[in-house]
Amino acid sequence: MNDEKSISWKKLQEKWLTRRSLIRGAAGTAAGAGLLLGSGLRLPARADDDDKGERRKCKSVPRPIPHISTPPGGHFFFPGPVDADPTTSPNTGHDPSIITDFKGAIGQVDLIFSGTGTDLNTGASATYDFHTDMRFMDGVFVGLDNEQHRGAIGFI
Amino acid sequence: MTPATPHGSPLGFHSYDPGIGAGSLVLWGSPYPVGSGRVDIDGGTAELLVHNVCSVFDVFTVPNSFDPNHALGIFSAIINSMKIEWSGVTRSVIGFSNATNKFRGDFYECSATIAVSATTPKDTGQGFHFESDPATTHTNFAQFGKEHNGVFF
Repeated sequence: MNDEKSISWKKLQEKWLTRRSLIRGAAGTAAGAGLLLGSGLRLPARADDDDKGERRKCKSVPRPIPHISTPPGGHFFFPGPVDADPTTSPNTGHDPSIITDFKGAIGQVDLIFSGTGTDLNTGASATYDFHTDMRFMDGVFVGLDNEQHRGAIGFI
Repeated sequence: MTPATPHGSPLGFHSYDPGIGAGSLVLWGSPYPVGSGRVDIDGGTAELLVHNVCSVFDVFTVPNSFDPNHALGIFSAIINSMKIEWSGVTRSVIGFSNATNKFRGDFYECSATIAVSATTPKDTGQGFHFESDPATTHTNFAQFGKEHNGVFF
């Protein structure tokens, strides 16, 4: 569905905006849902989950990639091949990461799937069809504090 | 665009995301425990496994997520568990480099399956629970890999 040759990026954007997010559905339908560190790079990466120091009680915050896809106006590329043609596909494909100053493992999916939704107030259940754009970035990143961190970020 | 109504179906719409990081402008990003996502380049597989992701909201629709006023409402929610598995590499893009966007790496396009459960707590008045059926997964696009970007480019 992300065929660059058959579907324009505008349609992909529209479809993505219409159908993305972890869970979004309607019963029985498919509709629902530079910082430059210089020598700072020599600093050892901190493992956020192992932070014990007082100043590390707060999770480090990464920077977004510079690119902005409009609409909707967010720092990300729509799902697609990394080697997409920038002239015909300026917002789809390219860097799958949503954070910059990062090195590590990435995973990205654009999926449609079904399941069972249950209204916890009424107990009613129904089949839901959903769409999701999920990603992970697991490795080392430079945070807003200009320090390197070992961490993982998910795109939900 | 999807009709902006939370009651367009018997059980209404539900859409989960972490919002936009205050100050950082990272879109729909959530911290995961280190090591949650793993890739096995030689094996041609990758996996993401997380539990109890509490930094998400039920925003009902994507437009409502982008609406600063969240006219349809916004409620705390939880992804109870999520497992995504990547396999079946169909295309490899090795040694790719993009100087314009300052990223490089090795990327492997493939297919994937997802098993996820999520809950909007009952005390929000919008109580909802979802359990996926992994067998129904259809892959529009999937890839895993290793990359460097920004200052690491």
